[in-house]
Amino acid sequence: MSVDSVPVFPTRRQVIAEHKAHGGRVAAVFPVHHPRALWRAFGVLPVEVWGPPGTDTTLGDGHLQAYTCGIVRGGLSFVLSGQADDADLFVLPHACDSTQGLGSLLLDFVRPGKPILPFYVPRAEGPVAVEYLAREIGRLADKVATIVGSSPTDAELLEAVHVEEAADGRLRALHQARPRLPLSGREFYRVVRAREYLPPLAFVELAAEVLASAGDRADGRTPVIVSGMLPEPMELFDTLERVGLTAAGDDFTCTGRRLYHPGTGDDPWSRIAQSMLSGAPDATRGVSVQARIDHLLGLARATGAKAAIFHEVKFCEPEAYYLPQVRKALEAEGIRSIAVEVNPLEPLPDQVVTRLEALAETLA
Amino acid sequence: MTLTDELRYQANVNVLGAVFLRFERLQLEWKMHEKGFWKHEHLAPPHFAAPRLKELISKHYLKGRYANGHGKVAWLTSGAPAELFTALGFFPLFPENHGAVCGIRRVAEKLSGYAEDAGYSRDLCSYARTDFGAMLSGETPVGKLPRPDVLVCCTNICQTVLHWYQVVAHHYKVPLILIDTPFLYEQAEPHMVAFVEKQLEAAVEQAERIVGKSLSEPRLREVTARSKEAVELWAQVLARGKHHPAPITAFDEFIHMAPVVEMRGEAFTVEYYATLLAELDDRVAKGIGAVKQEKRRLIWDNLPVWGRVRWLSELLAARGVSLVASTYTNAWGELAALVDPEHPMKSAANVYLHPILNRGTGYKLDVMRTMVRDYDVQGAILHSDRSCKPYSIGQIDQREKLATELGVPALLLEADHNDPRAFSEEQVSTRLSAFLEVIGA
Ligand code: SF4
Ligand code: SF4
Repeated sequence: MSVDSVPVFPTRRQVIAEHKAHGGRVAAVFPVHHPRALWRAFGVLPVEVWGPPGTDTTLGDGHLQAYTCGIVRGGLSFVLSGQADDADLFVLPHACDSTQGLGSLLLDFVRPGKPILPFYVPRAEGPVAVEYLAREIGRLADKVATIVGSSPTDAELLEAVHVEEAADGRLRALHQARPRLPLSGREFYRVVRAREYLPPLAFVELAAEVLASAGDRADGRTPVIVSGMLPEPMELFDTLERVGLTAAGDDFTCTGRRLYHPGTGDDPWSRIAQSMLSGAPDATRGVSVQARIDHLLGLARATGAKAAIFHEVKFCEPEAYYLPQVRKALEAEGIRSIAVEVNPLEPLPDQVVTRLEALAETLA
Repeated sequence: MTLTDELRYQANVNVLGAVFLRFERLQLEWKMHEKGFWKHEHLAPPHFAAPRLKELISKHYLKGRYANGHGKVAWLTSGAPAELFTALGFFPLFPENHGAVCGIRRVAEKLSGYAEDAGYSRDLCSYARTDFGAMLSGETPVGKLPRPDVLVCCTNICQTVLHWYQVVAHHYKVPLILIDTPFLYEQAEPHMVAFVEKQLEAAVEQAERIVGKSLSEPRLREVTARSKEAVELWAQVLARGKHHPAPITAFDEFIHMAPVVEMRGEAFTVEYYATLLAELDDRVAKGIGAVKQEKRRLIWDNLPVWGRVRWLSELLAARGVSLVASTYTNAWGELAALVDPEHPMKSAANVYLHPILNRGTGYKLDVMRTMVRDYDVQGAILHSDRSCKPYSIGQIDQREKLATELGVPALLLEADHNDPRAFSEEQVSTRLSAFLEVIGA
């Protein structure tokens, strides 16, 4: 496995430059769930901001207390440092109390001179949630229309929805084929996370190329589930592979919990809402503990995972509440687990490496 | 409900308990009237309503102790639409209030330790950790907590409560009713109100199935009317802090707020606040300040540091500083106007969308701005509560705006509402002393 296993595809910066060169607008989108098809239908390129790694977070210190997670601190620092200056608007889905604070801070105090679009992702379930979210997406559409100066027709929006659904289908296929792909963990996540910024058709092409390289069998490493907010720092995968483990089951909020299913019907608003709420049980949406347990057990069965690694962001409350009961239930089913805390913007701590090594020994 | 359970409830709560608690109150009241009862150098005597408050709270937890077997029990978040569940006859228990009681009684750290031993991170809200500790160990300073039949979680104070309640629901294997309230970055839109309204209707249906009876409209109107009355009286109690000297401080209010949170909708709660208000008016008439030599006035932002209410109150009083208002206690008074007892369900959707904690950081600054003006204060203490991100994020900018726009010095005080390990007495004294010098106290 080497970097050559991955087809060449553009970086974030290249995609942004290309889009801007054609007069397009760019939205910097913060975690977690957002209506991709909506932005695209307006000709806006959504580029997600998860941290990002390498950001100097000290800039955020002027607005955020020390007990705020690295994702929010990194996101704010990213904006303050001017690295998000290419963005024409900022989109802030409500994922937790901290992203709520970030959205509010940007809107009320930081005011980076660009439109700020925070919105609330429902925690309720069922038709009432879909109906609310469809209307919330409609509210966002009105705001984007005033920024862009025009609106897509419902038919154009529906077309964008279909294209996104196709890209989501390819993303799911990549995850399903994961054990048979000749990619390292780093390579795999570089590919699937291209969904965070690549235009959907480009992503479909990339996925098709990668899927064509799938072999018949998995490598001989012991499969484990990786869970948490996001697969950063990426040394996680190097370490796993070095100690004979492979991340076969993905339960990261950023990736595995965003394998959306297509919505139904011809109403594009409702269809986007249905799809946005169709991901795997996600702590940030406040799902039941049992739903998390059932999902992880299903993932373990499907991948043959022998253990789960909860690779958590320090100060991430949504994730931390679930851990004791979920881990206990996994243990009862013979699935070992460890929980480690990281700052996704910093290198993997030695102590985490040691714990991963110890886990591998117990599984050997 | 068995006959034995019911007899036990009546005997322990309405006969023995009631008599004992009344006797205890009378004794306390008697003591308070004795000469030489109060000798504090800087603080006025406690309010005469205080023994009644103690009786109300003790009776509430006593009812809770024997509630299983007597009726259905709902555990609710502090921002949940309690009126619906009170009207349906549930015994309402508020785990956050229980957490606060544990903080005041200084057992929060011990209980939190049980939760941490079970794997709950120390970074979680200390109310949740305290209550998880009580849930896992069965220990509580209130005797015994009733097992819930249902959990009612409203996200209008934070998302944390939803994760917290999911843990409790899994532990007790009980249903969780969620009232999901979109966070108001700006104003409430019609689809947000409709979303909450529909959930309230579904919540009533689910609660009716659990309790085995239908919600009586007249009963709901009655409970809502009492709730509104209590909240209005509470708002007036708070407004008395505008007087010079203030007859009540936010430290007192932190304690006196318990009934408006956990017993609103009850006649005795209305009576209680009417009594307290009359006493405050009497103090105003006589010029009695809660701080004997009131020289400077401050506002407080965020939750109290429960285990240090007394310590902080004495420290400030010794410097002639009165804490005349707080955004926290104000939260239970500011929505009174939105409550419409004639249309309880419709108004509930609007009311429960608008608590300060469900609104943006700019709105909170506006509340503080208004308080600075109305209460004539010289400074603000912003408690940066490690446990409570929804309340705390934004304070750094709010402090800056208070100072630059209004010329009001504001101190960011690092602590935690229920975890004493996040409170350094030495550091807090030093920072407070320096701040008090700035405001001339
Ligand atoms: S890491 Fe956790 S606390 Fe931070 S933004 Fe994500 S969900 Fe929120
Ligand atoms: S203290 Fe803050 S985080 Fe904890 S339950 Fe209350 S509002 Fe939520």
